[in-house]
Parts: sequence; C-alpha cells; structure tokens
Amino acid sequence: MMRDLTEALHGWLEDGSRQIGEVLIRCIPAGHELRHIADRDSTGLVTSSRAEEAQKIALLAEDGSYRPLKTAPTLRRGWSLELSTVAEVRRALDLLYPAMVGIFRDFQAGTLHPVMLRETLGRQSGMYAVTRKLSDPQAQALIGSVCRSDGGCLKTILWKIDPALGITSLPTEKFDPAACQASLRIAEPLPMLCHEACNILVARAREVVKSPTPKE
Amino acid sequence: MISKPNSALVIVGHGSTVNPDSSGPTLDQAEAIRREGIFGEVYSAFWKEEPSLRQVLHMVDAEEVYVVPNFISEGYFTKTVIPRELELEGAITERDGRTIKYCEPVGNHELMTDLLIGRAEEVGAGVRPEETTLFIVGHGTNLNDNSALAAKREVERIRARGRYAQVLNAYMEEAPLISDWHLLAEQPNVIVVPFFIADGLHSYQDIPVLLGIESETGAAASQREVFRHNPHHLRGRTLYYANAIGTEPRFAQLILQQVEKFDRAHEVMAVL
Repeated sequence: MMRDLTEALHGWLEDGSRQIGEVLIRCIPAGHELRHIADRDSTGLVTSSRAEEAQKIALLAEDGSYRPLKTAPTLRRGWSLELSTVAEVRRALDLLYPAMVGIFRDFQAGTLHPVMLRETLGRQSGMYAVTRKLSDPQAQALIGSVCRSDGGCLKTILWKIDPALGITSLPTEKFDPAACQASLRIAEPLPMLCHEACNILVARAREVVKSPTPKE
Repeated sequence: MISKPNSALVIVGHGSTVNPDSSGPTLDQAEAIRREGIFGEVYSAFWKEEPSLRQVLHMVDAEEVYVVPNFISEGYFTKTVIPRELELEGAITERDGRTIKYCEPVGNHELMTDLLIGRAEEVGAGVRPEETTLFIVGHGTNLNDNSALAAKREVERIRARGRYAQVLNAYMEEAPLISDWHLLAEQPNVIVVPFFIADGLHSYQDIPVLLGIESETGAAASQREVFRHNPHHLRGRTLYYANAIGTEPRFAQLILQQVEKFDRAHEVMAVL
C-alpha cells in the first residue's frame, strides 16, 4: 500500500500546537498557522496563505545571509503562513525544513537507517575523497563545532563516527529524539533527525584535512 | 500529455552552499510541473543543498519514482554522484517496495539547440546575425565531466543552421577561454549564452569578470538591486550577455519529455 505522509502529519497535528525546529504550528479556525517560535505572541506579521512562500522565508537569514543549511537556527522572524489543508502544511514544512517530516515518519516506522560518518566519508569521490583522512580527534572537534544546536544545526544526530566510536564533543541531548534542540520550547516538538552527515559537514571535513594547521 | 498521478518526480540539481540563486531554476521547474498536476508528487533534490540526495526519497509516498537530473551534460554527477547517493543499480532500481527510474539529464535533450538559439535571439533582439559571433560558454574542466563536449556539440548544431556568422564554444577553465572572447570573435556584435543551469556563481558572478563586464566578482543576482543591462560596449565590440540557459521556462517541458523518453525506451526494451 502506498505510504501517506500527509495522513501521518495530520495525526501529529491532531493534538494541538506542535513545534518543529524554530517553527510553531497552531490550529486556527481556517486550518493551521505556521510562524517563528519567537513570534508566538507577535502581532503585525506578514501573513500569506501560500505554502510556496516558505521557500523565500527559508532562503535568507535575518541579516540577509544565505542559508544553505535549512535546519540552522537562523530562520528569520516576522512572517506567518495560514494554510487551509494539511497537504499545504506538509508542502510548507518541506520547504522550511526539507525532508524532516518524511524522515521522522520513517524513523517511527523503523525504516530509517543511520549511516556512520566513516561510511559517508568512505564513499566520497572527486574533491571530497580526501575526507577519509579525517582523524578521529579532528572529526570530534569538527562535529562539535558544525553540528552544535546553538549556532550550528537543530537536527538530532542519530549516527556515530563509527559503530564503536560515539560523538563526545556534543551534549547527550543532541542525540535524543525526545529532546528539544531549539532555544525555545513552546509546544511538543517534532524532532528533526539527522541519519547521515550532510554535505556541509563533508565539505568542512575537506577543509580540515587540506588545512596545514587544522582549524577545528 | 503524460499523466502519472500515482508516480513521483524528483528533479536533481547541483545547488550551492554559497549562492542563493543556484537552486532557483530547479525549484522553479519543479513548481511549474507541480502546478500542471501531471505527477502525484514533485520534489527537488540537490548535491549541495537540502533536501539532499540522501534525504529526498524519505519525502516520497509513491511507489514509482522518476528521477531527472537537471544538469547540462552527462558526466561525473549524472554517472557517478547521483547513482551513488541514491543507491541506484541502473536505469531501473527496485528497492523497499519502490521502483526508481533514472532518466537522462535535461541537457541531453535534442531541443536544447532550439532553446540556445532562442535565448541568443532574445538577448540580441534587433542584432544582425550575419554580423554576430555567438558564444556558447560551458564550465570546462579537467575532471571527468562532459560539459565541454556538450557545449561543443551544441555549437556544431547551431553552426549547421547557418544563422550566425560565427558560432564558437568557449570555457571558463580550459581553452578556448571565454576571457579571450575579443581575440576569438571576428564580428562586431558578440552574443554570449552561458550553458549553465542557473544564474549562480559561475554564470552570474564569474563569467562577467572574465568578459570584462565587471571588474571583480560581485554579489549574487538576487542580492543586487539592479540587474545588468545589455548591450555592453567593450573592446571595440557590442556585447550581449544572456541569462543561463537553465532559467528558460521551457526547461520544465524538457524534464517531462525526458520522462516520456525513458518510458518509450523501456517499453521498447520490454517488448524486445
């Protein structure tokens, strides 16, 4: 039978307000409203009923800088989306936090398979093949810097450096899907799960390996 | 027109960690196809952005997924990176109750030649083609990428139509270099069409410096207040610089036609 992520999302939203990353999702008479958690009591927000607006909202941070990592804790404020269907909420969340709802669905279904960092680096080719030379201490320092929730990324990490080597450079909550990674907890969070190191971390690993004196 | 309400379409772009405009055309084509309602689901995925190739299949409900690379040429990304990251086993991959169908990149489509000519005519409206040199500019690289070959192929096709006095291929990183355009061009008018998907780092920021339109690499297109205006009077010529070919709205139709082409090819193979 075909999976139905919209139906799964409908189930998660049934119990009232939810939070995903820095986004608060509330029930309103016309459907659901999305806004920044820090704008929970704000008035005068720029409101749209188009889910596609989420693409522009997610593109640049408050200071105008580009956000290649959508789960960075730099989502800008001042907006709200009023969406009439759960399918539109799914569409907006896929633009604000790409794939996070689907990955959580697969995590709940037991079909999400974390990939160890050594495996991710080991399959790189071209300019990134050199990343397999990243040492364990370099990896620990890099992850501690790039992936930290305060200023790095709001995902919960599910992978290790290798099966026998966990990440010791971040607090234990960083690996707990039940913990809230955002600085504010307004409602029950839907976790954003990281089942494999992203290309931003891989690119930074290359910089560390290529650097004559490791930066991290 | 095709109709696949029970299938998903995933359009794969390169993306960028530094340029906010790089993923724009891929997202725009996906949105245009989504609005047509041909597929049950339409997604974009990127090598350098999110959703990544490792994430995107988790977004999909459908059991049949078509993957179309929004790339200019067959090469390192379409042959190595995308299949590896999506764990593809060939043109058709059966995995976890899903069938993933891997189509040819958009740049392979035979209508690309018409789009390049159309873009040249648009940017050089009113310019006499018999007094014009047309450049098709690719990245060019020593890596195993065929972008240089693809640009050369398109130049041969355009040249065969005999419309422009001179048609040349040129590259950023290998000879013939686009920075030598004034030495290569024999005509008073010069039209340059970037054979790139997006007005990103290369086509919007790097090539204008190589042409001499800009003295240094400027801000990204979306972060400038004024878009550049043609023509540019440089080095004794009148130069017209076009937007990247991938920003052409008809690219959405090419993506759909690559899906149709995949189905036709595999229906024939099934019959045989």
